Parts: sequence; C-alpha cells; structure tokens
Amino acid sequence: MLPLSIKDDEYKPAKFNLFVKLSGWFRSILADKTSRNLFFFLCLNLSFAFVELMYGIWSNSLGLISDSFHMFFDCTALLAGLAASVISRWRSNDSFSYGYVRAEVLAGFVNGLFLIFTAFFIFSEGVERALEPPDVHHERLLPVSIAGLLVNLVGIFVFQHGGHGHSHDGEGHGHSHSLFNGSVGHGHSHGGHGHSHESKHGHDHGHDHGHSHGGHGHSHDDPHCHDDHSHTPGKGSSKQILQGVFLHIVADTLGSVGVIISAILMQKYDLMIADPVCSMLIALLIGVSVVPLLRESIGILMQRTPPSLDHALPECYQRVQQLQGVYNLQEPHFWTLCTDVYIGTLKLLVAPDADSRWILSQTHNIFTQVGVRQLYVQVDVAAM
Amino acid sequence: MDEKYSSNVISSGKLGRVEAPDARLTRYIVLLYFTKLMKAFGIFESYDLLKVVHIVQFLFILKMGCAMILVFFQKPFSSGKMIPKRQWIKIFKHAVMSCVISLLGFFGLTLCGPLRTLLLFEHSDVVVISLLSVLFTSSGGGPSKTRGAALFIIAVICLLLFDNDDLMAKMAEHPEGHHDSALTHALYTGIAFLGVADHKGGVVLLVLALCLKVAFNTASRKLSVEIGGAKRLYALSNLVSAVVLLPWVIVLSATTESKVESWSGLILPFAMIIFSVMILDFYVESICTAKLETSRCARYGSIFLFLSGLLLANFWTHPLTDQLRVISKPGQQSSTEHVLSGGVLVSACFFIMADSILSAPSSKGQKGTLVGYSPEGTPLYNFMGDALQHTSQSLPRFIKDSLKQILEEYDSRQIFYFLCLNLAFTFVELFYGVWTNSLGLISDGFHMLFDCSALVLGLFAALMTRWKATRIYSYGYGRVEILSGFINGLFLMVIAFFVFVESVTRVIDPPNINTDMLTPVSVGGLLVNLVGICAFSHAHSHGASKGSCSGHDHGHSHHGHGHGSAEHSHGGHGHSHGGHGHSHGHGHSHGGGGGMNANMRGVFLHVLADTLGSVGVIISTLLIKQFGWLIADPICSLFIATLIFLSVIPLLKDACEVLLLRTPPENDKELNFALEKIQKIEGVLSYRDPHFWRHSASVIAGTIHLQLMSDVVEQRVIQQVSAVLKDAGVNNLTIQLEKEAYFQHMSGLSTGFHEVLTMTQQMESMKYYKDGTCIM
Repeated sequence: MLPLSIKDDEYKPAKFNLFVKLSGWFRSILADKTSRNLFFFLCLNLSFAFVELMYGIWSNSLGLISDSFHMFFDCTALLAGLAASVISRWRSNDSFSYGYVRAEVLAGFVNGLFLIFTAFFIFSEGVERALEPPDVHHERLLPVSIAGLLVNLVGIFVFQHGGHGHSHDGEGHGHSHSLFNGSVGHGHSHGGHGHSHESKHGHDHGHDHGHSHGGHGHSHDDPHCHDDHSHTPGKGSSKQILQGVFLHIVADTLGSVGVIISAILMQKYDLMIADPVCSMLIALLIGVSVVPLLRESIGILMQRTPPSLDHALPECYQRVQQLQGVYNLQEPHFWTLCTDVYIGTLKLLVAPDADSRWILSQTHNIFTQVGVRQLYVQVDVAAM
Repeated sequence: MDEKYSSNVISSGKLGRVEAPDARLTRYIVLLYFTKLMKAFGIFESYDLLKVVHIVQFLFILKMGCAMILVFFQKPFSSGKMIPKRQWIKIFKHAVMSCVISLLGFFGLTLCGPLRTLLLFEHSDVVVISLLSVLFTSSGGGPSKTRGAALFIIAVICLLLFDNDDLMAKMAEHPEGHHDSALTHALYTGIAFLGVADHKGGVVLLVLALCLKVAFNTASRKLSVEIGGAKRLYALSNLVSAVVLLPWVIVLSATTESKVESWSGLILPFAMIIFSVMILDFYVESICTAKLETSRCARYGSIFLFLSGLLLANFWTHPLTDQLRVISKPGQQSSTEHVLSGGVLVSACFFIMADSILSAPSSKGQKGTLVGYSPEGTPLYNFMGDALQHTSQSLPRFIKDSLKQILEEYDSRQIFYFLCLNLAFTFVELFYGVWTNSLGLISDGFHMLFDCSALVLGLFAALMTRWKATRIYSYGYGRVEILSGFINGLFLMVIAFFVFVESVTRVIDPPNINTDMLTPVSVGGLLVNLVGICAFSHAHSHGASKGSCSGHDHGHSHHGHGHGSAEHSHGGHGHSHGGHGHSHGHGHSHGGGGGMNANMRGVFLHVLADTLGSVGVIISTLLIKQFGWLIADPICSLFIATLIFLSVIPLLKDACEVLLLRTPPENDKELNFALEKIQKIEGVLSYRDPHFWRHSASVIAGTIHLQLMSDVVEQRVIQQVSAVLKDAGVNNLTIQLEKEAYFQHMSGLSTGFHEVLTMTQQMESMKYYKDGTCIM
C-alpha cells in the first residue's frame, strides 16, 4: 500500500541546535522592518533598564531598582510583539493548518491586557496616594524620567512610521497564506514577489533614510535586508502588534511626562497631590486608549463576523440566493484570520437540477468581491 | 447671571449629544431652560419671603398679581364668547382646588426648603401619570417604566430617610406659639397625627400635593376646552381664587399683626416671583408643549429645573447672595437655611433618571437589523437575535434569570458559591478592619476584593458561553471560556511577576513586618481557599486530563496525564474524589466537548495561587516568630511566585493553541485517520486545505476541499466525508467539492493571476494523483 498522503513522514524529531536556532531567529527578526524596529527598540530599552539597575545597585537606591524592574516588565510587551512578529511568519504545518498568523492578534491582545493591568495598578496606587500623599523625594526622579521619556519618544517616532509603511502589507501576506498551502505557496510567492518587492522597496527607502537615527549604526543591515525581503514571501507584521506596542510606548511616555510634570509641580509649588492626580489621569488615559484595541482583538479571537463585512454580507447573501437554482443559504460563518484576511464558510441548498459548479464559482466570485479571501462552499442538493 | 449663561451653554451642549434637535427646537429648549432657571430662582426667593409673610397672604398676593397681569394681557372678558353661569361655578370650583393645592405646595415649601420642594413637587403630569399607571395597573408600559418607577420611589425614600437636615430637626420641636393660623395648625396636627417627623411630613405632603395637582390638571382639561383655552381659564381661575382668598386675608391681617416691617421693600421680590413662577413658566411651557412633543418638553423641563435647583441651592447660601438679600431685605435672619446633604444629591440624581425614563414615550416599534432585500425590493429586517438582546430588560427579572442560569450548570454554580463565600469573607474582613481601624486588614480586604474580580470574570464567561450564536458571532460565544482562562492566566503571570520583583527587593532589604494580625487573617483566607480548591479541583481534573503536564498543582489533578479521552478522566476522578457525587452532571456536560474547560482551570489556578499565598504567609510568620528569620518572608514569596508562574504556563499554552487555531491535539490521531479514510472514498481524487480547529469546548470546526472525479454523485461523497469527520469529532463541517471543470470555470471567470497559477498547479498535482490511483 502506498502512502497516499505525504503527512506521515513529517514526524521527524527536531534536532535541537541552539546556535542555529538563535541565528535563524536573529535573521528572521532582521528580515522584516517591523520586527527589526521592535528588536532594536527592545535592545535600547533593555540596555536602559540594565544601566538603571546597575546604577541602582551601585548607588543602593531602591527606587531605581524597582523602576528598572518596571522597565523589564515593559520590555515584555515589546518581547511579546517581537515574538509574535517572528512566530506569525512561521509556516503552517500539520497542527497549525492556518499558520501562526493569529499570533499577531494574540500579541495585540496580550499587550492590551497588560496595559489594562498596568493602568489598573497605577490607578489603585494613585487612589491610595491621594488618600495619604507620601513623601516623594524627587531629586533622583527627574533625570531618570527624562531619560525614559527620550527613549520612549524614539520608540514613538519609529513605530508611528513603521505602522504606516506596513499597513497594507497584510494583504499580500494574507494572500499567500489563505489560498495556498505547502508547496503551492512557493509558486505563489514567486508570482507575487515582484509586486510586493517593489512596493516595499519604495517604502523602506523612504523610511530608513528618515528614521534610522544615526546613532544605532544598523544602517548597514538595510541593503542586506532588502535581499531577505525578496526571499521571504511578502510578510509584514500587522497593525495589531504595532498598535499594541505603540500604545504601550505611548503609555510609558505619558507616564514619564506625568512624572516630570508632577516632579516639577512638587518642586516648584509643593503640590504633593499632583503626583497621584497625574498618575490617575494617566491611568485613565491608558485605559481608554486601550479599549478599542482590546475590543477589536477580542472580536477576532472570538471569531466574530468582521465588522467591515457587517454591512456587505447581507447583500451578498441576497445575491447568492438569487442565483439560479439556489434554494437556501445555511450556516454562514465569516471570521477574521488576521488583519484583512477573512475566511468564510457557507452551505448552499440547491435544486437537484442546478449547475452546482456554476453556482460554486459564482458564489466565490461574489464573496471575493467583498474581500473574503478564503471561502468554503458546501453545495447540498435538496432532496426532492 | 454669568453662571446662568454658562450653564445655558452646558445644557445645550448636552442636548446636542442626547438627541441632536434641529436649530429651531434648540431655541425652544434654551428658552425652556431659561424659564426653569427663573422658576427655580423664584421658588428660592419665595421660600425666603415665606419666612416673613404669612402663607395665605403670600398666596393671595401671588394670585392677585398674576390675575391682574393676565387679565390685562389675555382680556378674558372682552375676547371670546360669554361664559354662562354654570361655567362660572365650575371655574369657582377650579379656583378653590387650585388654591388648596398651591397652599399645600407652599406649605410644603416652608417645611422642606426650596430644593426639596423643587425635586418633589415640580414633576410634569406625564411623569406622574406613567408612574401611577406603573404602580396601580398591571400593564405599566414595559420593564423600563417599571425601572423608572422604582427609581422614583427610591428617590423619595432617599429624601425621607437619608436626608439628615439639621434645620428640620430644629423645626420639629416647634413651640406652640409658632403657629400663626388655623390652617397651619391643622396641617401640623395632621402631620403629627401621622406620626412622622416634620420634614418627613413635608415630603409626604408634597407627594400628596403632587398627586392632587396632576389629578386636578387632568380634570381641568375638559373645562379649559369649554371655557375656550387654557390661558383664559388660567386667568379667570387666578382672578377668582384671588377673590376667594380676599376675605380670609382681611380677617387674617385684622387679627394678627404682620411680621413685615415695610411692604414696599417686598414689591420687587413679589413681582419677580409672580413673573417667574406664575406667568413665564405657564406661557413658556404651553409654547414648548406645542412645539416639541409633550414627553420631550416634560423631560427637559424637569431635568433643567432640578439642575438649576441644585445649582441655586449650592449658591444660595453663598455669602455673596446672602449679602445681596440682606441689602434688599434687612432684618432677615439667615441662619435657617436648608443645607445640601448627600441624601438630597442622591435623590436628585435618581429623580432626574426617573424623570427621563418615565417621560420617555413608550416605544412600540423595535429596531431590527437589515438583513437584505426581498426579491420584490422591500427591505427585510431581522428582529431576532441581537435586536432582542439589546432591548431593555427589567432589572429584577434579569437578576432572577441570570441566577437561574448560574445555578443551572455545575461550573458556574461552583464559581458562584465560591464567589459568595469569598465576598462574605472579604466583607467581614473589611468591616472588622474598619471597626478596629486597622489599615492592614482593610488593604488585605481590598486585595481580596480584587481577587474576586477573577472569579467574577470566570462566572461571567461561564454564563456567556451559553449564549446563543448570533448573526455577528456566528459560532456562538463558546470562545469566551478560553479567553477568560487566558486572561486569568495572564493575570496570574503578572501578579507572579510583581510578587517576584517585590520579594527580590525585599531579599536585598528585608523590612520589619508586623506579624500580630497576619496569622488569623491568613488562616481564614487559607480555609476559604481550601474550600475553593476542593470545589474546583474536581473540575480541574477534567481540564487537566487533557494532557497538561503541569508539575505543581496536582495532588488532585494529575491523573489522566496524557490520555485524551473523557473515560480516563472519569476513572481518575472517581479515584481521587470519591465523595463528591457530581460526576454525573459534569461528565455529561463535557461528554461532547472532550473535556476542555480553560475557564475553570484559570479560576482554579487563581484560587490555588491565593492558597499558596496564604500558606506562604503562615509559614513565614511562624518562621519569623519562632526564629526571627526576617528573610523567610521574601524567600517564601519568591518560591510561591515561581510556583504560580510554572503552574500557569500549561494553561496559557493550551489557550494559546486554541486561539491560534491549532488542530485539536486530542483529536489529532483520529483526524489523520479520518483523512486517510477520505482518500479511500470512491471517487475522491485528493483533498486540499484541511483545516480543523477547536472553536470552544463543544465545537470543533473544519473545512476541507475535495477534488472529485467528474462522474461521481456529489451528494453521496459529502455524506460519506461528513460522516467520517463527524466520527473524528468535527461537528461544524464545510466540504467544498471541486471537479475538474470547476477550475476551468474559475479560470474563465475574472479571477486573478495567482488563482490561475494555482489552478494549473492543482491540476498538475491532480494528474499526479490520478496516475497514482491508476497505478494502484
């Protein structure tokens, strides 16, 4: 008996080679602009935290140490984003038949949750402090928070532009995943390659010139990365990751701004209440700004019908039902795989004498026009 | 004046948000607001006047002035038809009634103070009528009206009970000589007879007067038509009541000496009151009722009135206005002001809410969602599903329903009981903490409360899981369970991280801990949490049976390690917890779903973490007490943080896998087997894009493309394949069949380049397969 499916022989024990793996990760991180940005910003943040920790231990200041731990915690958000942007580029395999693209939604969700937690903690702390304002010694606070603000400002600039550049990459990427799997995907990525490469080329040029920020010295990598781009099928991390990370950085920035303002207020006017009020305000701001991200990602994770299709779908159902021979349309499920990739399943009840192939292709056509990339239509023939 | 304009702006801004009236209506609404402000102003003023002027005199002057102005403007005698004698009698009755009501109202004003009078007395008829219809008829107009009535009653009760107004207590011990008329005395004795305190008597009086006023307004509607317009009736009635009051006033001023030094100083305030309370309000209200709808007018009117009443009550006692009044009326004692209290504020809020609900027109037409267009072109609406879910529901019924739902199923019942236990413990702790004034206990209580949020989340998720699928959430809400488990897990991770950091800083610099209070509290917490563990571990055994290899949280949960089926966990469950006896319901509820419940696992882990925390506190307290090792505390918490961290990881991993749409690991083998079987079905060339993923505990969705030979009956293949996959556990399946001709169709249609490319590739692979089958 010949094995008819090729699935059986893929259970190879993975050879664990740390170095190879690490370098592979590293390369894949550097391959994409978003993850590269994330990575460098993570490095910047981590080094800042380490410097702070070292200085804190050296000068034996508890405040600095705890602040550095807070920075580490912040880094987890970046780390999550980075991991997601790497993971989402993994190929789909047997178990994960859709690939790992959902990781980006998940990362956005996790980031949003973390932010909510942080906002909550800050808020409760603020309330506590408003009830009995503690003595804050603000000598050391100002320089540290200004430095943190600078770091975060860099992050804001980087990610704002990163988000723009990649906002429409999702399509090409989703394309490659949704319609083709395995070996077929290769063929496609070749086909689509010319197109996506060109657009990306333009983008990268524009951005890297403006924003590589001189001091980092990774401008060398860029031409190399262009080559990488052409190898990997067009992938860009979606807006979910970016939005999450961006929000996180904005929250941090707001935090440092708040600390600076309250430190100044406390120094100049002795307004001890300024600190808790500032932190409560910031917590509220963070909480409010996170809500849309959370709502969106929860919707995606719960397989909600994509909001952008909400209005288009009834019309499509209508058109499908008007096709000749279609009696009824049952169990329509539409959901979002990742940004801009919509998947749908339908069951059509058709007349016994209907041309099911024609109906099938017409249905595909109708839904492709609204943007449903991957459609499964089961044609059931009505019993007469 | 300044403040008036600013509040004008504010109110119109709010209107824009609420209903966005067009510009012309906005004008009327602003006018209405201005009038209501004036009216509130007038009522505050008249409260001050009533301290010096006798109530009957006051009323007489009001009616008299009003009648003079109205007769001058309205000309009731010269215009319109003659009024027969019979109607004069009616008008007389009308006037007497209105006198009585105004007397009651103003008497209530002297008892309760202006703000409370505004809140109680100045409701429009629409509100009161719908309130009464809710209270005394069976069909009140739906749950929202019931809610409004409940709010109204709560507001009145708030005024009665929670309004500790000092002045009213003072007035309760009134000397006998205080009463200066028979009427006042009668009312006082009446109130005393009812057995309530004075200001409460005032509240009751005002409510009664309100009801009377509404009944009176309704009854006089017919008369006003007969007379020829409400305005004419109003003018005539005012005139007649002034005439009726005249003899009384004469007798009164003859028998008692007035407290008023100079009447001339009072002319201005009287004119002001007459203008604002009696005339302007009447005219503007009638205009607005004509221009806007009645309900809207009533709603805005009362809301504006309350708001401006609150505003004025805030500023009336202000020194500046006080000074102004002292200048205009010297000899006025200003100590007897009714202060703003919390009860009044709360009840004002409730009144505003109640009014806006009660005066809302009862909407019969419900909104549906547009589904599409029928072949004839008429729009089709969907009234089921989401539209019905968003309709307002009566609160008690909602609570009852959700309680029933909670108690229906094992999981949610368990969470609910534990939540109640936890909350009870927390409140005991909080109360004890407040009582003994111990900050540590209070903060611990708040921490417990915070922990309860995880339970609440779990409970909510357990409820939500059972919601029906809607058009938007076409797979149902089953995913909530996994999301909630995921969130709980993440939450625990964050907590563990913070505990870790905190204990690291404490290892470096161990603080002195006050250990006296800790032990009993943490022992109590431990007991509560142990109960929780016992309750949940059972559910957890189901969850863990799925092959999570957590290394730490067992003792109860480690049976069935690595086995995928429900049977195993049944066995393990019997073995570990013989005494529970819930096995039936639970096994049943999970029979279809393969036994995965991330939600319960998350809750369980949370409780476990809490337990570990209390154990750690107890151990470290003992160590510190016995040996004085201050370092024990941070080390304990380090250890616990690590434990929590490690025990959460499997949960997170599983939840992530589900969220990432992994093929369910426990069905992996069966699915592979099923796919092999599908290959062997007659007529099937190959399959493509097999996607199987778990949506929730009970739903595994799957999609697959099948390539068929061109001469097969499609329906039979669909049936066979779906039977095979259903055996493998997939219960939401879509199969797309493709024959060779399909690709030609697709490529002939307006499909893009990529699609054509794949088509050709597919065709090639199909050829290959065809060859393969031919060889075979």
